[in-house]
Amino acid sequence: MADTIDATGAVTAEPAAPRGGRRPGSGFARYLATKLVAAAVSFLATLVIGFVLFSLMPADPVQSITRGRPTSDAQMAQLRKQLGLDQSVPERFFHFVTDTLTGHLGNSWEFQQPVSSLISDRLWPTLLLMGTAMLISVALGLWLGVRSGWRQGSWLDRIATGASLTLWSVPTFWLGMILLITFSVGIGPIPGFLPAGGMSDPAITGGPDHVLDVAKHLVLPCLTMVLVVFAQYVAVMRSSIIDELGSPYLLTARAKGLRDDDVRRRHAVPNALLPSVTMIFMHLGTVLGGAITVETVYSWPGLGQLSYQALKVPDLPLLQGTFIVFSASVILMNLLADVIYRFLDPRVRAQ
Amino acid sequence: MTTSAPVHRIGRKAAALATSLLLGTGAGLALAPAAVADDGGSTLRMPITGIGIDSLNPFLAYFAGSLDVFAGIYPALDTVEQDGTVKPYLADSWTTSSDKLTWTFKIHKGLKWSDGKPITAEDAAWTFNLIMSNSTAATANGSLVSNFASVTAPDDTTLVVKTKKPQATMLSVSIPVSGIPIVPKHIWESHVKDLKSYKNDSFPIVGYGPWTLTDYKSEQYAKFDANKDFLLGAPKYDHMIEQSFKNTDAAVAALRSGQLDYVSGLNPTQYQALKGRSGIKAYEQVGNRWSGIEVNGGARTRDGKKIGTGHPALGDVKVREALARAIDRATIVKKVRNGLAEVGGSYLPQSLPQYAWQPSDSEKFGYDPAKANSVLDEAGYKKGSDGIRVDPKSKRKLEFRLGIHSDDDGDAKVSTYLTGWFKEIGVKVDIQSMSSAKLNADLAKGDWDILMDSWSTGPDPTYLLGIQTCSALPDSKGEGGSTDSFFCDKNYDNLFLRQQSAFDDKERADLLRQMQAILYKANENIMIYNASGLAAYRTDRVSGIVDGKANSAGAYPAQDSFHQYVNATPAKASSSSSGGNSGTLIGASAAVVVVLAAGGVFMARRRSSSDDRE
Repeated sequence: MADTIDATGAVTAEPAAPRGGRRPGSGFARYLATKLVAAAVSFLATLVIGFVLFSLMPADPVQSITRGRPTSDAQMAQLRKQLGLDQSVPERFFHFVTDTLTGHLGNSWEFQQPVSSLISDRLWPTLLLMGTAMLISVALGLWLGVRSGWRQGSWLDRIATGASLTLWSVPTFWLGMILLITFSVGIGPIPGFLPAGGMSDPAITGGPDHVLDVAKHLVLPCLTMVLVVFAQYVAVMRSSIIDELGSPYLLTARAKGLRDDDVRRRHAVPNALLPSVTMIFMHLGTVLGGAITVETVYSWPGLGQLSYQALKVPDLPLLQGTFIVFSASVILMNLLADVIYRFLDPRVRAQ
Repeated sequence: MTTSAPVHRIGRKAAALATSLLLGTGAGLALAPAAVADDGGSTLRMPITGIGIDSLNPFLAYFAGSLDVFAGIYPALDTVEQDGTVKPYLADSWTTSSDKLTWTFKIHKGLKWSDGKPITAEDAAWTFNLIMSNSTAATANGSLVSNFASVTAPDDTTLVVKTKKPQATMLSVSIPVSGIPIVPKHIWESHVKDLKSYKNDSFPIVGYGPWTLTDYKSEQYAKFDANKDFLLGAPKYDHMIEQSFKNTDAAVAALRSGQLDYVSGLNPTQYQALKGRSGIKAYEQVGNRWSGIEVNGGARTRDGKKIGTGHPALGDVKVREALARAIDRATIVKKVRNGLAEVGGSYLPQSLPQYAWQPSDSEKFGYDPAKANSVLDEAGYKKGSDGIRVDPKSKRKLEFRLGIHSDDDGDAKVSTYLTGWFKEIGVKVDIQSMSSAKLNADLAKGDWDILMDSWSTGPDPTYLLGIQTCSALPDSKGEGGSTDSFFCDKNYDNLFLRQQSAFDDKERADLLRQMQAILYKANENIMIYNASGLAAYRTDRVSGIVDGKANSAGAYPAQDSFHQYVNATPAKASSSSSGGNSGTLIGASAAVVVVLAAGGVFMARRRSSSDDRE
């Protein structure tokens, strides 16, 4: 990434947008087409890899599912048949690929429900938690990163860098537990006032009260996510800004008599933003995966927790289903990033 | 640079949105009801048991959380009372024919499903027949009716069950939690064809029991209303909420902050942290679980073909005896369970005192490393230069794989003790930490030497004893086994068959003890400890929780959710909860102030810099 920044810096003040010659529309169509094909190929590849990986797992979930319950041999055999475990691996692969392409994700072994409905149940909580956490982390991280990079070595820089790196290296689970005990149970003078887990209080139904209640339940898991994630934005944004600092175009801008704030905001930040944008899209791709640890600490009913549960049995259809959704979201976000890059970075358009 | 401008704007919008979200959340803190929102009446707040609810369809669900829900919303023929005795529930009385093959149950008159339709013997007969005839319906409870020949309802209040062989466990077939829940025929008839996919999620669910399920959100909560006309005594609460907590630390925090009234499944550290706290009672339940090691004494199929990669020396009962004698169980109880367990011996746990068995002093394989060493010396296992013994027959060193559950920190602690103790008798152990799935897969194939394991049991121990019979071994293709240690013994199997048709409780108890003595001598299942169940509840909120002490007759009360939830009574005094409320308010307002201040500073900076620009 650093290379890109150096390159951007070298482009100097007015990067010439190569507009002439080609019509951007036709070029864009071809560009989009190649990217779409590439995305489709990677999706198919992940399907195959996913299937192979999951087929290697010890797969007699019947033992795990029925453990501790009175079950006769005939029933176990019946259950194996129901779950499709009596089929050969090629047969299972064929069904897996055809089902996936026709939009069927199969039936969960553990929950005896369609995988698609399990996933869609958990989609909203994950999007809510990860979306909010992403928004706050990006805003906070970029803002702090710009400020600290601009005034390198200032008190704000030292505090921001120190704090963000410390928080980044703290184990998420531990941080979650500390916040949980502090704000939900209360320590010393701080009385507990936030819920310890779940997404809502079941006793509060409907209306604005419910929305506020969900917001209240969101605070701690979201805060944990933000504290762990925002450091990356601080670090990347700060180093890109520092890379820009010595650039001639900034000198020019200053020489024109612009205020320091304007130089920073209008000239330095836009040029330094690219690596962070890349990172935002990378993160967006993994948003659906949720955060297994955070969702577990706070019993947040999201996709991360679902895939963890699936892994424990292991519940192959559910694992494959979540795997497909996660891979698809990463691939989709990469595609989107590629497209948006064309608008953001003139050099991509030039290719 | 012009190309970058849109991003800049988006960035600013995002920041503004984030701030408003923060503010919104802060407002939520202040405005949301501080403690419990009362929609009329008292609410009992419980955690969802175990790892959760897999399905609301009682024909399919396995998880403990589901079984708890069914116990509350569907009736059973009879119930095991707190003192362990069997009492009427849907059936007022029952008689057995002289050949012990026909059971006649008299069903209570005048009971109604929650939609007002009468509950009759036909509902019970239909439920049992469906499980007997439909393989999907048999998914969860098929084995409980495998000995049934026919079930009929000659009239509304008579249910006749005919069995193929005499069955002493008939009264455990349909009891709350571990038995078959009876469902309303008029509701379920139309769902037989799509039984596999039927989610049973139109609320309130038509049933009968102490509770009616009014709402459920997967992995979040289940909500119940009390059935104030419940036959065995109405719940003292008006509502019950069960909430999902994926980790016990969070559940403990929820208990302390008032989100829950009760938690169970605590580890010793959590238990000791809660003990003595005001407003909370932490208590020990008598354990219904054994923890120990299983030794692969020779994995084989039902027709005697050897399978797997077990170490041949473990087939020697002397080696297994030495292992049993090398374990200092008292130290493990003290160090790993903080004393909150009993030293293991009996295969059946202390929660079944009528069946549990203990070895006499002469039979006992107590901690005695010297004796263990001499047993191995006498059997010809000589120590090599590295101090590890060698099997004279296979010439292999006594180096065993020890499989432990990667998600169980107790396993990890115990296994390090075992490694040291086994080394003292010239046995080397290679600890292999695995997921439960991998462990189970290896177990079924016989690809293991020693495993750490743990089993619990409900009121009837037949199943737990059944996994040690020869018929639990895998078939000739190596499939379909439900065995645990590949144990197989003709005498044990004979006793197992006899106890199934032993109608005299004393006689049955005697047979069960003989079976446990056989298991004990074989040392293929070496018991280490029986952990106590650790639980806690808020004394300022709830009373009437059964706290697991033996009654005057020495019997331990039923501790399952069904009884807990019906007996739980709202506590009258709640002085401390008002303190909690004001604390909540102070905290919430503090948070709002902080968030507002932060937002204000942020906005102020924004404005000042935009002023700059002009």
